[in-house]
Amino acid sequence: MLGRAQASRPSLSLPAPLHRIPLRAGNVVEIAGPSPSAKTQLLIQTAVSCILPKERNGVHYGGLGHSVLFVDLDCRFDVSRLVEMLRHRIVQVNGCSCTADDEEILKLSMRRFSYIRCYDSCELLAALKTLHHRLEKEKESNGIGGHLLMIDSIGAFHWVDRASTSLPLGGKNRKYLSLQNVLEVVVEDLRKLMSAHPMLVIVTKATIVGTTGNDFRRNYKRWPSAGTFDASSELEGLREPYFREYMPPIWQSFVTHRILVRGSDDHIAMPKSQENNTAYVSEWLLPRLNFLDKFVVRNAGVFLVS
Amino acid sequence: MASLKRLETEFPILDPDFQSFCALRGIFTVQDFLIRDLQSLVADAEQQPSSERFMQAINQVLYVIDGLHQPWLNGVDLMEDAQKNKHVLSTGCEGMDFLLRGGLRRGQVTELAGPSSSGKTQMQPRVLQEVMNSILCHSVYDIFSMFDVLHCLESKLKYQVMCRGDNDERLIIIDSISSLITPILGSSGSQGRALMVSAMSLLKKLAHEYNLAVLVTNHTVGGDGGIPKPALGESWKTLPHVRLLLSRDCGSNTYQVSLLKHPSIASGKAAKFIIND
Repeated sequence: MLGRAQASRPSLSLPAPLHRIPLRAGNVVEIAGPSPSAKTQLLIQTAVSCILPKERNGVHYGGLGHSVLFVDLDCRFDVSRLVEMLRHRIVQVNGCSCTADDEEILKLSMRRFSYIRCYDSCELLAALKTLHHRLEKEKESNGIGGHLLMIDSIGAFHWVDRASTSLPLGGKNRKYLSLQNVLEVVVEDLRKLMSAHPMLVIVTKATIVGTTGNDFRRNYKRWPSAGTFDASSELEGLREPYFREYMPPIWQSFVTHRILVRGSDDHIAMPKSQENNTAYVSEWLLPRLNFLDKFVVRNAGVFLVS
Repeated sequence: MASLKRLETEFPILDPDFQSFCALRGIFTVQDFLIRDLQSLVADAEQQPSSERFMQAINQVLYVIDGLHQPWLNGVDLMEDAQKNKHVLSTGCEGMDFLLRGGLRRGQVTELAGPSSSGKTQMQPRVLQEVMNSILCHSVYDIFSMFDVLHCLESKLKYQVMCRGDNDERLIIIDSISSLITPILGSSGSQGRALMVSAMSLLKKLAHEYNLAVLVTNHTVGGDGGIPKPALGESWKTLPHVRLLLSRDCGSNTYQVSLLKHPSIASGKAAKFIIND
């Protein structure tokens, strides 16, 4: 029966560092990290892999051909970065640059990308409530396809919702727009969406509440020596929880997979380019994997280093 | 948020029967609808004698809710909007323009952080020189007056777009946003940070919808090992699009600006330039 269940929801092949664990529709992945730690770059890289077709006109692009729904709560998304990464992938496959075919594939892929901005919690709730109908209509016209829902980032309205005053509203049973209530409804609506339309949910979360940079350095037991990457010593440091979880338990139990990313202090000298790229490390917290992935962000995208 | 009673005038299907059905479940306004579990409400409605009318009424409210969020945009629309509207404004300083691949991008909020006498305010006239239209100046002494000014600006821009299809304004400069926010940021209590997040949300909305570039300045505080870092804390780091750190070589006219964060350029790059008085 497990085999049947797994066959009905095949695992998606996603770019690093999400490739370590097989992810399938129905999973909720949380990518947490301080700012800046390339979380949005990971989302964009994953989006590129999803919207590219698997194959077209006999050329194998290696994408998933799924549509991506990007809910931007930070309102900092730069579409030119997505187009740049997508173009690099297409040119890499086709070998020559800027032909009419490339533009056609680019447009075809970009049509699979849907984007919405939300400036506060009410807009987010409204968007989620009406998303079901929108997807139903799409199903009628385009047929059943996989979806990827991305939210960047879930903690964007944390302070605003926390501070919203709880004035006593008239009438019993009335709920007010507080942090707990908003997240309860978000989780409920997402669960319903996932049961009606198979989708993988990837969410970024900025660690905005926690120890300051100074405290972090004091708690860090062994400082990695410059130029060498000693995985075991970095792992010792990471085991200390240095960022406080600020999302309420209802969200924490909704998340099925968790990755922590942060900037690493080692700079990677690229042989071809003159500059040093900042490296980032990612660690799978749920399920716990006992090694770190190191990656850099270049113009063409996110690349694993070690 | 509209109450169901007020919506009845526009949508007669939301009749008093439906309103009392909702009132029993604590729903009086559209906002209450948002915070409720829709499926259990639908299940309840189906138990009622006039279930068909109630279902139609619920669909009507969902239609109203659909107008409450920003429209879903397609990737191709986003690309066209970026190409047509989101151009760069030169800062008037070659080094900075090179670092930022052209200058301040319309639709983005750029933070310029630096200690006092690091050239932040000297940067401003250079940016303004590029703006050929009239320069409007507003003095604000607290964050609430800034909200007032921004809301007035929003109405003005909305009116301009309605009448002419385009607006004149290109750039908003807030010098300095940290002096407005620091007094209200306490260590406990989230009001200060909530105001900071709301202010930046409004600025990002104005930037995106009316194709403005926004420049905000920030001061610095002591950081690791004595190296100054931008003020306003961890929560602030997630708010601007582009973050620049300005510093001045002691006693000279040479300034260095480094890129802390950018949505599409690798961080860590720096540029040096000289400002002659």
